[in-house]
Amino acid sequence: MKILHMYHDVMNLYGEYANVLAMRDMIIKSGEPCTVDKKSYGEEVDFGEYDFVYIGSGTERGQKSVLADFLPRRDAFKAYVESGKVALLTGNSFEMLGKTITDSDGRSYSGSELFDFTVTEQNKTRNTADAVFTAEFLSRPLVGFINKCSEIKGISEPMFSVKLGLGNCSDGKGEGVRKNNLFCTHLTGPVLMKNPEFLTYMTKLVTGRDVEPNLLAVKGYEVTVRELNARIEQ
Amino acid sequence: MKVFFTILICKLLRFVGKLIGKGSSFPGQIALKLCPDILSRVQLPEYIIAVTGSNGKTSTVEMIAHILSKNGKSVAWNREGSNQIEGVTTLVLSNATFGGKVKSDILLIESDERFARYTFKYIKPTHYVITNLYRDQLTRNGHPEWVFDALKDSICDGTQLILNADDPLVSLFGKDKKDVIWFGADKLSSDTETLESAYNDGAYCPACRKPMTYSTYHYNHIGHYACTSCGYKRHDTDYTITSVDLDGGEMVIDGKHRITLALKSLYNIYNILSAYTVARIVGIDGAEIAADMNDYVLKNGRVITFELGSRRGTLLTSKHENSISYNQSLRVASAYKEGCDVMIIVDAVSRKYFTSDVSWLWDIDFDMLRSENVGEIVLAGKYVNDLALRFEYTDIPAEKIHCYEDINEAVSYLDSNRKEYIYAITCFSDKGKFLARVKGE
Repeated sequence: MKILHMYHDVMNLYGEYANVLAMRDMIIKSGEPCTVDKKSYGEEVDFGEYDFVYIGSGTERGQKSVLADFLPRRDAFKAYVESGKVALLTGNSFEMLGKTITDSDGRSYSGSELFDFTVTEQNKTRNTADAVFTAEFLSRPLVGFINKCSEIKGISEPMFSVKLGLGNCSDGKGEGVRKNNLFCTHLTGPVLMKNPEFLTYMTKLVTGRDVEPNLLAVKGYEVTVRELNARIEQ
Repeated sequence: MKVFFTILICKLLRFVGKLIGKGSSFPGQIALKLCPDILSRVQLPEYIIAVTGSNGKTSTVEMIAHILSKNGKSVAWNREGSNQIEGVTTLVLSNATFGGKVKSDILLIESDERFARYTFKYIKPTHYVITNLYRDQLTRNGHPEWVFDALKDSICDGTQLILNADDPLVSLFGKDKKDVIWFGADKLSSDTETLESAYNDGAYCPACRKPMTYSTYHYNHIGHYACTSCGYKRHDTDYTITSVDLDGGEMVIDGKHRITLALKSLYNIYNILSAYTVARIVGIDGAEIAADMNDYVLKNGRVITFELGSRRGTLLTSKHENSISYNQSLRVASAYKEGCDVMIIVDAVSRKYFTSDVSWLWDIDFDMLRSENVGEIVLAGKYVNDLALRFEYTDIPAEKIHCYEDINEAVSYLDSNRKEYIYAITCFSDKGKFLARVKGE
């Protein structure tokens, strides 16, 4: 099987490369061989070759430069998503999939319009928070960290429900968005490494097999859930 | 009258605060309430030197104060590191006469990256040192470019910038400016031709976002860079580390000033260089500075030697959520030729705020410990599982690694018949838990 780590050298602000390692090892554990291709600006990509596509978070300026490179790939990526294959976009990378991104100077950038949402950035306050989200397709909450300066409006069916942390926009309790097997969340960092159930869920979608999670990841997850739940109860 | 009264109150509160062991922010906070523009109403000294950046602020400021004091200058500085506006106000007013004149020759301010723009509205530095911009406490700082934008707003007209030429993002502050003073290192014997880091923050030009190339890397993305497109490149330096022998513990500045190193890290040599640069600007002779910095041991408690039973070791305070800080400590341990064991503790991620985010562990080059100099590796603290998982993705043999959630149990394990030196690597938030179990020197 093949993993595509897109914009690995730009959209990798919070240790996101670990998500690719986590998926690679689960695929190998399922009994399949697995290779990882790292691609960036201007490189030729045939999404159809891949079984899992990942893009992580970058700076606001990094995201805009990536967006310019991504737009010509829009139709190919859309076809990948519509074929039901699995992709994960974390942090501000998924903002590229909406209608527009407006930066803090008021300049508007066209998005790739896989979704109807719009994004507005500001440069005054960094909104950061530990996060606990729940989803229908997971029995246990998702844990992680949010680090952003944007509001995302126009997502009517978010993927997660926010128990702690920040949602797509400040006046809602929903976070992220899903379409087929494309998963989008503003959580930053090694989301798959930190969330063994989310990883096994996605591994099943990629490989069709149930794979046992890494024991250390499970133990680490339990500590984080305990800490964050204590935070919620405070 | 208002100035007199505000200074009086501030001094009184500071005096009482010291007696009862309170921090240095509160007196300034009250002073600012009484007289919001108090800082623009006092008479400041000729030199107002500010130091900011992700890493090395506190150490650099301490070194500058040490050199200047040794050379007969009186220096007012925020040694407690209260580097927001309130702390700076306390510092200024505590050192002022009741008439509102700051008594010292030099006002030296360590300034928090996020708050500099507010502080310098009232108190304009004559000289402004920016040491580096790294991935540092991203759970509250966002990311280095976000910090860059915040710092950009803190730079006033008429302030002389003193910049690290080897840091591409820091150097951007001096782009197209004429009166900048640059410091940096020549190609060093410890340099590498390729990047040795889990991530590459120097991959793309901060000015135009096209690819950059490096002719040499000092560490991480710090080195000699040039943009392949817009011509942006490392600036020539005014004050320069011309050679370093980390094994022998010696650095040479400007080809002639030899300084022996108490702490053999690249980190330390940059702090020394920036302190040297400031002291030269103030008019101190290079040879004098070198003599003052020979074998200088920092007094800020970040490097502490200890005994544990029959074993000896050093605690290297390293910042959680800061991979470059960790990398420097790992480099020191892995270069210890006599052989050492290494302990790493991640228990409370921060002492100042809550977070359970450990994504920064993935940015640290733990593979550096895959060295014949390193024997056992002991991992400890609440986040020991996340640490151990990170180590699974290194090439370090699993049998070398020992994990304990409980720090006491980890220390007991180390208190054994092994003879190897111990390097303990952890943060301010966790070091007390370790130091409580060992005998400090």
